Amino acid sequence: MLGEFEYLLLTAAVRLGKDAYGAAIRQEIEAITGRRCSIGALYTTLDRLEKKGFLKTWMGDATPQRGGRAKRMVQVNAKGVQAATSFYNAIARMSRGVSWEAKRTAVEP
Amino acid sequence: MKRFNWWLAEIVSLSLTPEEWEAVNGDLAESGETGGQALRDVLGLVVRRQIALWKSWRPWLAFLALVVPLGVLLSLVSRMMADGSAIYAWMYLNNWTWTYVTNAGARIDLIRYGADIALKYLALLCWSWTGGFLLGSLSRRTISVNVSLFCLALLLGELLEPPRNLGHWLLCPRPLGQGANGVHGGVYSLAFYSVMFPLILQMLLVVLPSFWGVRQGLRLATLPIPRRTILWTCMIATVAALGTESSVWWQLRTWDVRPNPAPVPHLPSLLPIALLGPLGYWLAKTSWRNERPSRII
Repeated sequence: MLGEFEYLLLTAAVRLGKDAYGAAIRQEIEAITGRRCSIGALYTTLDRLEKKGFLKTWMGDATPQRGGRAKRMVQVNAKGVQAATSFYNAIARMSRGVSWEAKRTAVEP
Repeated sequence: MKRFNWWLAEIVSLSLTPEEWEAVNGDLAESGETGGQALRDVLGLVVRRQIALWKSWRPWLAFLALVVPLGVLLSLVSRMMADGSAIYAWMYLNNWTWTYVTNAGARIDLIRYGADIALKYLALLCWSWTGGFLLGSLSRRTISVNVSLFCLALLLGELLEPPRNLGHWLLCPRPLGQGANGVHGGVYSLAFYSVMFPLILQMLLVVLPSFWGVRQGLRLATLPIPRRTILWTCMIATVAALGTESSVWWQLRTWDVRPNPAPVPHLPSLLPIALLGPLGYWLAKTSWRNERPSRII
């Protein structure tokens, strides 16, 4: 079972697709959750997920806006998608019938 | 202040692996964070990485078996040599006269004392280099923390002088023979010889050679088993000799504070054993180079 931050990271990486790398994932998580995402949490979680076999990372191209430094690119694999799906399903099942779930469905069409 | 924070963040991030260093510094440059935020982020990552590394037994072995004992022993021996040579330094530098050279007897004394001190300094230099080498080859990724702790142990050993004063407190509440009120009180009452001279010696004969040894230890490639065994035997013999040297010093100190000091026996020089560490490394390095000219250890 994934942890909450692991799920957020996997989801952000999938949403970004081919543009998923450290800074972009961090920005995505911060923009959507409204919470600060530290570099320490991001990179240690990336390592943990890579060890678990949920994603793979590699050093990508350098860009001038990064001071000529390379990006750490991220790609979620099938095992990672499966883990994220089962986490989401578990949360969705668990949340059925609770007050905040009812409120959410009332607000969202 | 902003520039200083960025500079500090870059320095702190040097303890990361080269790939992670590049990715993290690139992310920070891209995100446009302030120097303070960047420093906090990098510190957070470095701390997390170090915590993960310290879950293994290797850094703890390096810390408990090398950093603490070596820091204390090197500090002790360096202080012993500084105290011993301060008398001759004072005699020949502060009271220099050409009679030391023109008079045959004085000249022989000058050469004998000079050579004796030079050999002791060489032994201390070898011990420090070997200690640093062991630390570098065993610590690897935790080297930044272990080297900082090693420097702290040296500094505390020098500033607090616990072993020097411990014997005094335990055995006899009277001043030590080499203290300001002892036989050579005139020398040790000078701030330069009691404070600065030991610090200068520690810097030149302990800190710098240790750092050099750490650098060589970090670069050590995998050696074949026979050569590795010889190298590590030499290193361990050198460190053991350092332990013997400091334990003798401790006994001398203990005798020194007794009401009737016991006669001090003539002790053999430990220089040949101190040389074993660097010599073993040199041999391993040259034989490895002869076999594989493209690789450097």
